[in-house]
Amino acid sequence: MTGKERVQAMVNGAAVDRLPLMPITMMFAADCAGVRYRDYVTRHDVLVEAQLAVAERFGFDYVSVISDPAREAADLGAVVEWFDDQPPAIVESRALLTEKAAFQSLRFPDFSAGRVRDRIEGVRLLARHTGAERMVEGWVEGPCAMAADLRGLNTLMLDLYDDEGFVRELFEFVVAMEVEFARVQVAAGATLIGIGDAAASLIGPKFYAALVQPLETKLVAAIREMGVMTRLHICGNTRKILTGMGATGADIVDLDFLSPLKEGRAAMGPRQVLLGNMDPVRALRDGTPESVTAVLERCWDEAGPRWIVGAGCEVTRGTPLENVEAMAAFARSRHG
Amino acid sequence: MADLEELREAILNGDARRADSLTREAIAQGVEPLALINQSMVPAMDEAGRRFECEEYFVPELLLAARAMKAALEPLRPLLAATGARAAGKVVIGTVKGDLHDIGKNLVASLLEGGGFEVIDLGADVSPQKFIDAVTNSGANIVALSALLTVTMPSMRNTIEALKQAGLRDRVKVMVGGAPVTQQFADQIGADGYSENAPSAVALARRFAGSAA
Repeated sequence: MTGKERVQAMVNGAAVDRLPLMPITMMFAADCAGVRYRDYVTRHDVLVEAQLAVAERFGFDYVSVISDPAREAADLGAVVEWFDDQPPAIVESRALLTEKAAFQSLRFPDFSAGRVRDRIEGVRLLARHTGAERMVEGWVEGPCAMAADLRGLNTLMLDLYDDEGFVRELFEFVVAMEVEFARVQVAAGATLIGIGDAAASLIGPKFYAALVQPLETKLVAAIREMGVMTRLHICGNTRKILTGMGATGADIVDLDFLSPLKEGRAAMGPRQVLLGNMDPVRALRDGTPESVTAVLERCWDEAGPRWIVGAGCEVTRGTPLENVEAMAAFARSRHG
Repeated sequence: MADLEELREAILNGDARRADSLTREAIAQGVEPLALINQSMVPAMDEAGRRFECEEYFVPELLLAARAMKAALEPLRPLLAATGARAAGKVVIGTVKGDLHDIGKNLVASLLEGGGFEVIDLGADVSPQKFIDAVTNSGANIVALSALLTVTMPSMRNTIEALKQAGLRDRVKVMVGGAPVTQQFADQIGADGYSENAPSAVALARRFAGSAA
C-alpha cells in the first residue's frame, strides 16, 4: 500500500497493511533539513523540501503545510512578530479586533497573495511531488483559534460571557473564510485538510457545545463536500469535550497527551479514527527508543484498531532522531 | 452589616460590578481591608482555582473571577497602602523572551494576586534584564517564569543565569511553568520550583513565602 492508500483505508474502515504514521512535524522537519524556521514559514519551496525529506526519511504517510497559526491572521492585517528560527507570533496586545467595531470592515484575505498564497503553493508543490503516494494535508484554523488570533485570546475568553452574540458572529465569519481557504487548497491538490482549534480546549464543555462544536461541524461538512478528508486537531486537555469532537464528523480526531485515548474511544465510539496521543515532550523528546515503543503499545491498546500513529501535538525541536525512528518502526511492524 | 460571604460568591461567580459595590459597602461600614482580603478574596480565588483543577471551571470562568477579584481589590489598594499592610509575598512574573503567549501566565498572576501576593506582571516576551530591573526595583522575593514553546524554554535558563550574574539569585526563589516545562527541566536550569498548573503555582509560592526570611 502507498501511504495515501493506507490512510484512506484506515479512514474508510478497510484493512491496512500496517498502522498509518502521521506525526505533525514543523520545526523538527526544518531542523532535519538544516533550514531556518523563518525560511520554512515564508518560502513554500523550503517547507516542501523539508516535508518531503522528513517523510522520506521516516516513512510518513503524509506531508503537511502546517507551519504556524499566523497565515490568515497576517493577511487580514494582524500584527505579527517574526523570529529568525521559531514560529511567528501574533501580537495579542495589538490584536486586530481590539475594538469590536473593526470587525464590521473585516473581509476575507486575498487568496492570490501573501502568506495564504504561499501555503496554497506549498500544497500544489507537495501534490506534484508526492501526491500520488502520500496524503497531502492542507491546513486551516478552527473557529475558536482563529477568533482568538484576531480578538486576542484573553479577550475572547471574557467575550464568551460578555458578548456571546459577537463571538457567534466572529466564529461564523471565520468558518466562512476557512471554507474558502480550504477550497483553494483542495483545488491545489490537498487530499486532507487539517483544522487546528487549540483554543477550544480552554473553554469547557458548555461553550464548546453551544458555540464551537456547531461551527467546527459546519466547517468539516463543507470540506468533506469538496471530496477530501478532514482532521480535527485540538491540542491541550479536551477530556470534557471528547463527545462533541467526535460528533463534528471529522474523519480523523487528534488527541493530545492530556486526553487519554481510552476516554476518546469511549466517547467517540469504535468507528472514529483517532490519532495520538503520545506526550511530545516527556515521552517522545525525553524518552528512549524503548520507552517510545512502550508508550505506543499502550496507545494502540487504548485506541484499538482505528488508530493512526502520531504524537499528541508537534514533534518538538530537539527530539532525538532515533526516537522518531522508533515511532516509525512501531508503525511499520504493526498491522491494523 | 457587610456580608463577606456574599463578596466571596460575587468574585467566584465573576460578577465584577457586585464585587466592587460590596467592597465599597464594606469599607463604608468600617470592615478592615485585610479582613476583606483574607475572608473573601483569598477564599474565592482559592475556590476558583480548586474548581479549575477539578475541571468545573475553565479558562473563561477563571478569568472572569480574576476580573471580579481585581474590581474588589481596587478600592482597597489605597487603604492597604495607608495601613502599610504587607502582602503574603512579592512576585515578579512574566513570559520569557521570545514567547508571546501569556494566558497561562495571566491565570497564575491572577491567582497569586487573589492569594494575597503583590504581583508585578511584566507581560510577555520579557528580557532577562527586565526581570533583573523589576526584582531590583521592587525587592520581590519570588520570580515566576512562563513559557509555552519548547524553543523559548532556553530563555528561562538565560533569565536565571542573568539573575545570578546580577547577584540577585540568592534573594529570590525562581519558579517555572508552562505546557512543555517539566520538573526535570526545572532542575536542569536551577529553578527552585516547578508547577504544572496555576493553582499549584500558588501553593508553591506560598511555600516559598513561608520559607523566606
